[in-house]
Amino acid sequence: MPYAHPEYLVDTEWVANHLKDAAVRIIESDEDPLLYAMGHIPGAAQVDWFSTLQDPLRRDFLSKEKFEEVASNLGITKDTTVVFYGDKSNWFACYALWLFQYYGYEKVRIMNGGRAKWEQEKRELVKDVPSFAKTTYQAKPADKSIRAFRDDVFKQIDSKKPLVDVRSPKEYSGELISMPAYPQEGATRGGHIPGAASIPWSQAVNEADSTFKTPEELTALYEGKGIKPDGDIIAYCRIGERSSLTWFVLKYLLGYKKVKNYDGSWTEWGNLVDAPIEK
Amino acid sequence: MSLPPKLQEIVDDIASMSREEKLETLIAYAESFPALPEWLKEERNKMEAVPECMTPVFLFGEKQPDGGIIFHFDIPPQSPTVRGLASILREGLNGCKPEEILAVPADFYLPMNLQEAVSQQRINGFTGVLAHMKHVAVPYLEKK
Repeated sequence: MPYAHPEYLVDTEWVANHLKDAAVRIIESDEDPLLYAMGHIPGAAQVDWFSTLQDPLRRDFLSKEKFEEVASNLGITKDTTVVFYGDKSNWFACYALWLFQYYGYEKVRIMNGGRAKWEQEKRELVKDVPSFAKTTYQAKPADKSIRAFRDDVFKQIDSKKPLVDVRSPKEYSGELISMPAYPQEGATRGGHIPGAASIPWSQAVNEADSTFKTPEELTALYEGKGIKPDGDIIAYCRIGERSSLTWFVLKYLLGYKKVKNYDGSWTEWGNLVDAPIEK
Repeated sequence: MSLPPKLQEIVDDIASMSREEKLETLIAYAESFPALPEWLKEERNKMEAVPECMTPVFLFGEKQPDGGIIFHFDIPPQSPTVRGLASILREGLNGCKPEEILAVPADFYLPMNLQEAVSQQRINGFTGVLAHMKHVAVPYLEKK
């Protein structure tokens, strides 16, 4: 059994063989933005979820126009194959891929195993920052079919459609809101969205090399928790990065048709007045 | 309230830097971050790492004959931002007396305006690391 859309995944060897391919742009997207400066794949550019992809004022992503500017500066056209990789099993690589898809960018890939696998294989890392000839990239209007807002979540609860909580078990139970001693990404309430299934993101990934699990394992994991291919699904975590990974798995590795990422996630829901919470 | 002189010096220095210089300073700190001394490695293995988002920060205090505390950190190289930020506290407070460490206000970092270089969520980590250092310092307070 193959993945539903295996073309969305490339391995480290493929990337190593396309370092000088002008039709390929490799982009690092990390949880820790300084990692790129410590050394990156030769020729790779960087996007940072905080300083590159977020609106500096509102809590939102870049506008379509700003996104076009970022893409143009990366020197990409609609024909460029864009390969994302990053730390933490590709959380933020999936997040960047999701945002590129949100603005209609089709030729996106994830490097299976991300930064960790590339390092494990002792492949080359460099500090040179590449520069690219600027293009004029035109994005498509935002694709709301892959992004859930809070009102979509209320409707999802009312219609009893599936929600997937991909956070760690203690965040799901409400025991933890964020990690001890790190008041990052805080919420004033703990727990989960009523009816959400708990399927931590990490269960989709092999711990040893950060690659995705096999199609058989992934099918058993999600279907075993009632998340079926014909479902109309919303995934969430705390800020939307871990659920981007689950979104990628469901949509491209398993071929589920209707999957949305709720990027507001727990930092919105756990702070929202009058929103129902289950513990 | 005044900060210990070394910490004050670092805060003033970083406050005067451009965004790029701040990033370069954090990178330089991260690259020169010292490894945990051998004699603490066994101690380190007894501690449990916290899973998920958070970078596991391990911290040990070693009391000096003059009553000051030397801090030893273990932070993985995969987390250069956390290393860089922790370095500010490590360099600024190493050798200080427990009383001085406990007197550092939790918002001491604000004048550095680091939020122009790294996300606010990361900067909040300062509060966590400083709280952790204070926790380590408490048992070393001299009995009056």
